Amino acid sequence: MTDATQSDTAFRPKPSLPPPANTVGVVGWMRKNLFGGPVDTVLTLLGVYLLYVILDFVVDYGIVNAIWTADSYRECLDINKGEGACWAGIGVWFNSMMYGRYPDEEQWRINFGGIVLLLWLIPFWLPKVSGKIQVGISAVLTFPFLAASLFIGGDIGIFLHAMTAIALTLFVSVWLNVATCYLMGKSLPAVLISVTGFADKDDRLHKYVLLGAFGVGFVLALLYHLSWDLVEVPTTIWGGLFLTLVISGIGISSALPSGILLALGRRSKMPVIRVFCTAFIELFRSVPLITILFMAVTMMPLFLPVEFNPPKLAMVIVAVCIFAAAYMAETVRGGLQAVNKGQYEAAQAMGLNFWKMMALIVMPQALKLMIPNIVGSFMGLMKDTTLVSIIGLYDILLMGKAAGQNPTWLGFHTEPLLFTATIFFVLCFAMSKYSQHLERTIGGGYGRR
Amino acid sequence: MSIDTQLPDETVHVASAISDEVVIELASVNKWYGEFHVLKDINLAVNKGERIVICGPSGSGKSTMIRCINRLEEHQAGDIIVNGTEMGTNIKNIDAIRRDVGMVFQQFNLFPHLSVLENCTLAPIWVKNMPKAEAEKIAMEYLERVKIPEQAGKYPGQLSGGQQQRVAIARSLCMSPTIMLFDEPTSALDPEMISEVLDVMVGLAETGMTMLVVTHEMGFAKRVADRVIFMDQGEIVEQNTPDEFFTNPKSDRTKLFLSQILAH
Ligand SMILES: Nc1ncnc2c1ncn2[C@@H]1O[C@H](COP(=O)(O)OP(=O)(O)OP(=O)(O)O)[C@@H](O)[C@H]1O
Ligand SMILES: [Mg+2]
Repeated sequence: MTDATQSDTAFRPKPSLPPPANTVGVVGWMRKNLFGGPVDTVLTLLGVYLLYVILDFVVDYGIVNAIWTADSYRECLDINKGEGACWAGIGVWFNSMMYGRYPDEEQWRINFGGIVLLLWLIPFWLPKVSGKIQVGISAVLTFPFLAASLFIGGDIGIFLHAMTAIALTLFVSVWLNVATCYLMGKSLPAVLISVTGFADKDDRLHKYVLLGAFGVGFVLALLYHLSWDLVEVPTTIWGGLFLTLVISGIGISSALPSGILLALGRRSKMPVIRVFCTAFIELFRSVPLITILFMAVTMMPLFLPVEFNPPKLAMVIVAVCIFAAAYMAETVRGGLQAVNKGQYEAAQAMGLNFWKMMALIVMPQALKLMIPNIVGSFMGLMKDTTLVSIIGLYDILLMGKAAGQNPTWLGFHTEPLLFTATIFFVLCFAMSKYSQHLERTIGGGYGRR
Repeated sequence: MSIDTQLPDETVHVASAISDEVVIELASVNKWYGEFHVLKDINLAVNKGERIVICGPSGSGKSTMIRCINRLEEHQAGDIIVNGTEMGTNIKNIDAIRRDVGMVFQQFNLFPHLSVLENCTLAPIWVKNMPKAEAEKIAMEYLERVKIPEQAGKYPGQLSGGQQQRVAIARSLCMSPTIMLFDEPTSALDPEMISEVLDVMVGLAETGMTMLVVTHEMGFAKRVADRVIFMDQGEIVEQNTPDEFFTNPKSDRTKLFLSQILAH
């Protein structure tokens, strides 16, 4: 190796040199992406100028010239001549834009309901918790009853009492399940069964044990709930973001199940069902939501008996649900068609009946493919609920408009709109981001195929 | 077809275990796709423990025939009786038959969103109401029998074709069927994977399972089949023991088919 001639012929790699300074780092990136040629350079400068103009305006309007405390719109205008925002007004109207005319001293009920819903859904994201599907289904099916008895109050009737008690029992079970999963590493049913000492007995007995436990919980919840005494708050004075979330929340959570049923119906071999579902979907998809809303609140009462006079909000919610279901049905149908025929055949060959085949094999695959479309429909629906303002429900948009018609705040229009837009943006952007996350985790899933 | 390399000891025929009991009976079965007469007056009786290989040119109706046996296809005329149950339009009968008849497909048709183990336990849990622990125990036994217990936690997309097909076989067996249908189980596989699947099928034959196998693997037919059926244009043209069928075919159509398939 020390021989000079040998080292001449041996392969010696050339030393690695750093790349030319003007192709890497910030300077390199800018040269490549911003100033690649005369056209690029002009466009870049134009873009920078536009950005400057916009930012300058936003900062001036929103911060520098903005008024943060004032008692009337007049006062704002006197100070900044309308060259800045009057954020003071948002402070004054904030409560109305959130809760509508819901009485101040009762608003805790809305907050409480919202917190319960959030808590109900949190176990969904806790990794160690078992039975996530049950958590979701229990929330979707029973929370609306709890919310109704909480938000409406007054004399709610025995049915709503019972459903609320079921909801409360399930809510508590969900969190007991979280506790047992984290503290004992077992699900709540498993713990209940092992506590009673029937662990080695057969399944039928297990079911009775669980039913019994649920029954005890139900009775306790019912007794507790009967002691609630809430003032009635009629739906006519509900409003603001609260109303928007009620309508879109019910619309969104009913859209998927009813859309699935309609889509299956449309593919059914039974002609009556198929024709009915197809007609339903095509009819409501081809009509603007606003028309359906008008029909619901103006024409429906004409067909219904006088003594049966549901509140406007109920009609609107039904209309929104129908509309959302019709749209979702087509989304779901698209997903169903993307599932390979062999999957159906394998499921049938194993003896799974139609509903089990759909629930266990086809739907999970179809829904996975449809996540972007589903979330897209949800976002559309959420924004479409602002149309209820046209038929006179004081959702967040109409509440903002009402602010500008108040004598003290006459002309206060821009800021409520900006505020509303921001809220919708935050909600929809969050949904969009979450759907991307879902796509990456379960969508990209199947064991990183 | 590489008859000589597929199976280690193909000269020894797997011992037959045929009983007198008829488990599948097709009587004058006819089927049409629209105007197209795809099955023409099929008559076939299969005894318990019998192993039948079905071959024939593409489009001759082989798949259609075995798919009628578990009602993946509906026939329009004639009777199909499986394990004494008449296949009618009665959903109960169809379900009963499907529980007893396992099927393995050319394209495997594993459920991609479930792990291998879940693929195997799904039907026992949801069709037979078996407790999960028991279903998993049985599934692991069958996965061991098809020699891939170590893949139980993986997803189908992470396995090779041969492994997937073996999972598919294990999945069917988990329902403890009395009859197994195979529709070209090795046709979608690379040559080196064919034998691993055929080995499993030979092992299954040794347990006395009633098997109907659509395949062009003639080595498998010689080794395992009790009867070879040749179909063309929706008819059963010829059926015989493998010895007779390969060495002494009766019809000219069969001779032509054999000369084509063995020419490779
Ligand atoms: N769903 C269908 N609709 C109409 N014709 C069909 C349908 N399925 C199959 N056929 C036709 O029926 C005939 C028999 O098909 P089958 O799949 O049973 O043939 P095969 O013998 O299994 O052929 P291969 O070896 O290619 O699998 C073919 O001509 C095919 O084109
Ligand atoms: Mg075929």
